[in-house]
Amino acid sequence: MSIVYKRPEVFTDEYMKYCGGCGHGIINKVIGELIEENNWQEKAVFVWPIGCSVYADKYFKVDSICALHGRAPAVATGVKRATPENLVISYQGDGDLVSEGMSEIMHSAIRGEKFTVVFVNNAIYGMTGGQMAPTTLMGQHTTTSPYGRAEEFTGHPVNMAEIIAGIPGCYYSERVTVNTPGNIRKMKAAIKKAFEYQMEGKGLTFVEVVSPCPTGWNMKPVKALEWLSESVISTYPLGVFKDLGKEEK
Amino acid sequence: MKSEIIFSGIGGQGTILMGKMVCTAASKKGLNVTLSPAYGQEKRGGRASCQVVISEEMGSPIISEADTILVMDEKSFDDYEGKVKAGGTLIVNSSMINKKPNRTDIKVMEIPFTEIATEVATARSANMVALGAVVKTLHIVDLDDAKAVVAAKMKPALVEANIKALEAGYHFDER
Amino acid sequence: MGEKVFMQGNEAFAESAIRSGCKFFFGYPITPSSEMPEYYAKKAPEEGLTFIQAETEVAAFNMIAGVAATGKRGMTATSGPGFSLGCEAMSYMSAASLPSVVVDVMRPGPADGEILGSQGDYFQLTKGGGHGDYRTIVLAPYSVQEYADFAPLAFELAEKYLNPVVVASDGTLAKMMENVVLPERTSGPERQPWAVDGAKGRPHNDITTCGDGPEQWEAFNLRLQAKYQNIRDNEQRWEEYQTEDADVIIVAFGVYSRVAMAAMKMAREKGLKVGLIRPITLWPFPVKAFENLENKDFFVTELNSGQMVEDVKLAVKDKDRVEFYGRLGGMIPTPVELFNKLCELYMK
Repeated sequence: MSIVYKRPEVFTDEYMKYCGGCGHGIINKVIGELIEENNWQEKAVFVWPIGCSVYADKYFKVDSICALHGRAPAVATGVKRATPENLVISYQGDGDLVSEGMSEIMHSAIRGEKFTVVFVNNAIYGMTGGQMAPTTLMGQHTTTSPYGRAEEFTGHPVNMAEIIAGIPGCYYSERVTVNTPGNIRKMKAAIKKAFEYQMEGKGLTFVEVVSPCPTGWNMKPVKALEWLSESVISTYPLGVFKDLGKEEK
Repeated sequence: MKSEIIFSGIGGQGTILMGKMVCTAASKKGLNVTLSPAYGQEKRGGRASCQVVISEEMGSPIISEADTILVMDEKSFDDYEGKVKAGGTLIVNSSMINKKPNRTDIKVMEIPFTEIATEVATARSANMVALGAVVKTLHIVDLDDAKAVVAAKMKPALVEANIKALEAGYHFDER
Repeated sequence: MGEKVFMQGNEAFAESAIRSGCKFFFGYPITPSSEMPEYYAKKAPEEGLTFIQAETEVAAFNMIAGVAATGKRGMTATSGPGFSLGCEAMSYMSAASLPSVVVDVMRPGPADGEILGSQGDYFQLTKGGGHGDYRTIVLAPYSVQEYADFAPLAFELAEKYLNPVVVASDGTLAKMMENVVLPERTSGPERQPWAVDGAKGRPHNDITTCGDGPEQWEAFNLRLQAKYQNIRDNEQRWEEYQTEDADVIIVAFGVYSRVAMAAMKMAREKGLKVGLIRPITLWPFPVKAFENLENKDFFVTELNSGQMVEDVKLAVKDKDRVEFYGRLGGMIPTPVELFNKLCELYMK
C-alpha cells in the first residue's frame, strides 16, 4: 500500500483557525507541500502579515516572523538581504498589500527584491470583519460599502498582478485561483516556479491567488465559490502577466 | 589656555577649510578642538562660516563671544563685529569690506587679502593669507605647524603658492 | 588605542558602526542625519555593506527589523519627522525583541520645524512614541568621541537585552567636527539562537507580535516589563561633576551639557557652588544619580520646553526645588546666557 495523500510533515499539529470555505488553508497546504517536496524546511523564512493568516506561524515548522500591517515586503527585504541563501516568502492579503502596504510592495518590486510574494486576494478585509478593500468589486456590499462600492468615493478595483508585472524589477507575475482542483494544481505550479526563480536569485516573484472569503462575503462556501468563478475572476483574470524565465529560454 | 575663533564669509572663500586647518594644526599639539559649521538658516544666502574652539579640556561648542573673528565679506562684518570679546581681534578682509568698525575695545586688523595674494601668488590664495593672519593672532600653533598642514592638505602643485600666501599673511604686521 | 582622526559627528558614528560589524544600513535622507546614509553608500563597495535608500522611514525601520530578525547588525538614522514615521516600527521591534539600532538626530519640531540642534524628541524617545507599553534604551552622547563610542555600545546593549536602542544625537553634534579615536573592528555576534535565518540544524523559530487572547498577551507584556525593570536596575548611566558640595546642581544632557558645564565653571569662578549631572541614558533615566543628594536645588536646562525636567522631578526628593530653563526652535543658550540665568535664580 502506498501513501497517495498526506498532511505535509512541515505542518505542526496546531489546529488551523481559518473559516470553513476559506482559501488560506489550501494555499498554506500547497506552500507546505512545496517546501517539503523541495527540502526547503531549513531555508524557508515566512514573513506573515496582519490579516487572517497572522497565526500561520503556528502551522509551519519553518522560521517565521510576523510583520506589521502592510510592512511585510520591507521586513522581507531586510531578511532576504541579510540571508540571501534563504527562501523568503512574504504572504499578504489584499488589505495588507494593496492598501496599507502599497508603498512597500511597489518599492520592493522597483528594487527587484529577490523574495516571493504570495498575495491572497479575496476582495475584502477578512480579519477585521468584512470591510471594503481596494480590491472589492464594483457594487460589492461590505460593512464599509453597505450600499455597494461606488466609483465616486472609492474608484475601481486594483489589479496588482498586472501592475507588478509592469515594473522592471519584477521577474515573474501570475494570477491563479483555488476554485477547482485543476486551478489548485495550476496555483501549485505557479508558486513552485516563483520559489525556483527566487532560489536562482531572480528578481521579485509575485503570485496573486484569488481566494474565497465566505464569512466576509456573507455567503455559504459553495455559493462563495460560484460567485468567485462568475464575478471575481472577471475582474481579476487568471494568467501569467510576466515570466522573464520563459522569455530567456 | 582656550581660544574661540569664528571664520565667516561666503561660499567659495574657504572659511571652513581655514577652520579645519587650524583644528588640524592645533590637534597635532594635543589640544582639544571642536569645529561647528554654520548651516541651516545661516547657510542660506551663501553664508559659509564656522566656529572653532581650541582648549586643553573639552569645551562648550557654543560660545558666548570669540577671541578672534575673521570676516571675509561685508555681511559677515555686520553680523560678527559685536561678537568679538573685549580685547579680542577682528580680522577684516579689506579687499572686500569698506566699512570701518565702531568698536574701540578690540584690536582690528584690516588686511587686503586679495591684493597680497595676487602679489605673492594668485588671487585664489587669499584665504591662505587670511589663515596666516589668524595663525599669528592665535599664538597656539606656529607658522611651521600651519605650513605642514597646508602641505598635507593641498594638491602638490598648489603647495608652494599657498605657503607663500600663508607666510605673507603671517608676516603682514611686519610690513 | 587607534589613531585620532578629525571627523564630523555623523560620519564618526557611521564609521564606528561599520567597524562594529553593522553591515546593513537602510535610510531615508533627512537633514541633519543624511551624512550617515551618504557615508554608508560611499563605503558600501570597499566594506561589503548593504545600503538601501528606502522609500520611506516606515520602510527603512521595517527593513532594519528584518535584518535584526536574522541576528545580524543593521541600523537606520533619521531625524524628528522621520522618527515619527518609524515609531510604528519601534513599537513593533520592541514587542518582537529585535536588537536594532536607530539614531535620532534631533531637530526642532513640531512638524517640519527647523534643522538645527534640539532636544524636543525627549518625550518621544523615552516615553514610547509608538503605541503600547514599550521602552527603548536611549543613549545621549555629548561629544563626537562619545557619539562614536555609542555605536558598538548600542549594538551590545541591544543584543544583551534583545531590545531596540536609540542613540539620541542632535543637529549640533551631528555636524560638529572633533578628534575621535575610532573603535577596533569587530564582526558582530555569531549566529543567534533565536533568529529567523532558516531553521538549519535547530528547531524552527517564530517571532510573533500578535496576541492570542488577553491572558496570553498580558503574560507577554509582563515578560517585556520584567526586561525593562532589569534594564532600569542595571543600565542607568550618567556623569556627575562637583555635586557633593554643590548648592545648585545643573541637569543637562547631550552636547548641550557642555554649555551647562561652561556655565558651571563660570559660576565656580565666582564662588557659586554649582555642580552638574549629565544623564547619559535618557531611558532608563538615571534616578540613582539623585538618590543621595539632600538639600540641594536643581536647575534643569534643555533645548525644549521642559521634558526631561519631569523625570528629574520624579527622581528628586523635593520637586519644588527644581527650576527649568529652555530654548526652542534651534536656539541654543550661550554659556554666559546660562550663567546669567543661574545668577537670576539663585543669587537673590
